Amino acid sequence: MSLSATTPVTGAPARPFLRHLERAGLYLALSVAAFLSVFPFLWMLVSATNSSGEIIRGKLGLGDQFWINLDNFMTQVDLPLVMWNSAKVAVLSTVLTIAVSSLAGYGFEMFRSKMRERLYSLVLLTLMVPFAALMIPLFMMIGQAGLINTHIAILLPSIASAFIIFYFRQATKAFPTELRDAARVDGLKEWQIFLFIYVPVMRSTYAAAFVIVFMTSWNNYLWPLIVLQSNETKTITLVVSALASAYYPDFGVVMIGTILATLPTLIVFFVMQRQFVAGMLGSVK
Amino acid sequence: MADVRLQAVRKTFGVLDVIKGVDLDIRAGEFVVFVGPSGCGKSTLLRMIAGLEDISEGTLTIGGQTMNDVDPSQRGIAMVFQSYALYPHMTVRENMGFALRFAGMDKQEIARRVQSAARILELEPLLERKPKALSGGQRQRVAIGRAIVRNPKVFLFDEPLSNLDAELRVHMRVEIARLHKELKTTVIYVTHDQVEAMTLADKIVVLRAGQVEQVGAPLDLYDDPANLFVAGFIGAPRINVFTGQVTARLPGAAEVRLDGFAERRLVIPLTGEAPAEGTEIRLGIRPEHLTEGGAESLPIEIDMFEHLGGETFAYGRSRSGETIIVSTRNGRHLKAGQVLAAGFDASKALLFDAAGLRIR
Ligand SMILES: Nc1ncnc2c1ncn2[C@@H]1O[C@H](COP(=O)(O)OP(=O)(O)O)[C@@H](O)[C@H]1O
Ligand SMILES: [Mg+2]
Repeated sequence: MSLSATTPVTGAPARPFLRHLERAGLYLALSVAAFLSVFPFLWMLVSATNSSGEIIRGKLGLGDQFWINLDNFMTQVDLPLVMWNSAKVAVLSTVLTIAVSSLAGYGFEMFRSKMRERLYSLVLLTLMVPFAALMIPLFMMIGQAGLINTHIAILLPSIASAFIIFYFRQATKAFPTELRDAARVDGLKEWQIFLFIYVPVMRSTYAAAFVIVFMTSWNNYLWPLIVLQSNETKTITLVVSALASAYYPDFGVVMIGTILATLPTLIVFFVMQRQFVAGMLGSVK
Repeated sequence: MADVRLQAVRKTFGVLDVIKGVDLDIRAGEFVVFVGPSGCGKSTLLRMIAGLEDISEGTLTIGGQTMNDVDPSQRGIAMVFQSYALYPHMTVRENMGFALRFAGMDKQEIARRVQSAARILELEPLLERKPKALSGGQRQRVAIGRAIVRNPKVFLFDEPLSNLDAELRVHMRVEIARLHKELKTTVIYVTHDQVEAMTLADKIVVLRAGQVEQVGAPLDLYDDPANLFVAGFIGAPRINVFTGQVTARLPGAAEVRLDGFAERRLVIPLTGEAPAEGTEIRLGIRPEHLTEGGAESLPIEIDMFEHLGGETFAYGRSRSGETIIVSTRNGRHLKAGQVLAAGFDASKALLFDAAGLRIR
């Protein structure tokens, strides 16, 4: 997250010109990178103020259509319901995923057993299987369980996340085993050690995992598209994408939708930014 | 205060024998130090007493009660860890009171105990800080405080000073000794540092490869080691070891010849039977017993010095090649290349057989 790592280390002050040139090149490269990553976002904001026709013609300036677009969006979409659906699914799946997967990661690292590494490899192996290959069998399972059109259909498959298990196991390597010993001497049972010592000590790891899982879950598209077919259950990603794939899409309205769909993830990220960075660097120092 | 007794205690990790049958009696109030080289099983043995490792075989009793299957928190022990293991998300006060709060103790009683431990350890101004904001020595004191408030029958320490710098280590060593005098609790203290062992212990337990080599008071181990390993481990600089053979059995003594000093015959007094003529032996002489002057003397060529001011260590080689250290109080005039007549009293020399067992 910090640029200092890429700043060239220039020891001798003897060559100021070369040093400036180097600096200039660096800033140029960074500016291009920043522009490339920010431009689509800016375009989205600008386009929300223009009419669909203007957007198609490639207008880049601010327009005066924002309130009209917003009004159209609100008449086409039941925003509170859609947001509620998205939020419910994202929050529940984040909380459940992190609860289950952090327990698994902790267990894999803390408890010795003959089967441990083999079982763990098996878990990691599931990372290699593309979701597209799982889709059909998963759909059939969910169908047989009668869960089509329910949010449980989205929650269930997401709860045990191989990636988050892996992430927690890696982070747990830095958790001092003597802390666990001290807690045992202090009279804590295993679940109490997890709850009262491990979780608070690893809170920035949890924060980073929360950001990652929440964003993935909020933006999740393919699987909800398959299992959520009734309008009452649809999430905002589904609704916005439906707007965009209409026969005559109104791109101004679509842009309003994408802004509204992006907003919660932005808020989550900015609220948890510091913890997120700390978590990526490791909780225990 | 409670006594601790280990009977035929063993620990295996899978196929690995880590503790190979330890018998030990620790009296109530005693300060016992487990010492031995790294990896010899000191921590494992301590953790078995704490209840952090299962006991594979044998029995452990604390205060007369069998503790093999008792939960660590119910054994009446408190432990201080090498890394201090303070809970990083709690203040010093919370750290110290945590176990008590968890055991459901009355709030006022907790506050009283924390306060009194903080006073003993001079932690009062630090009570509201988090461990991150403390120095190494302060963290160490908090870890000790956390143990004290539990009012344990036995204190367990696992290399508590090894993360501190040399000066602080000496200071904390004195503090721990003082604390033991005040509290009079049984202490079991693990270290690989023989100086810590010598200065703190009422009783030292020397361990090697999961077995007890010798148990005794510090000076008894120093003066009267049971084998070469103990002789080498206790005492710094290390004891000098010469190889040689028995040349004659005398009444109450053995006459020996040392390799590299073939022309000399040394008479070593013994209380028991001398070994047969021709038996291979090892002769151990501590550096401070090997000085200028003394009844017996060996010519040793000196190649290096360490002048410590009050005392000088002269390093040389015997003619058969072993490093010999001579310690002397007036060695400032010595020069490299000089041959020193290193003298000693035969009664101070320690005789061992070829396997390293003491011949007394
Ligand atoms: N959980 C364990 N599993 C397997 N071997 C272990 C375990 N804990 C310790 N050991 C082994 O037991 C031996 C003694 O370890 P330890 O008691 O930590 O030694 P010390 O504290 O004397 O340095 C070492 O060889 C170590 O590798
Ligand atoms: Mg150890």
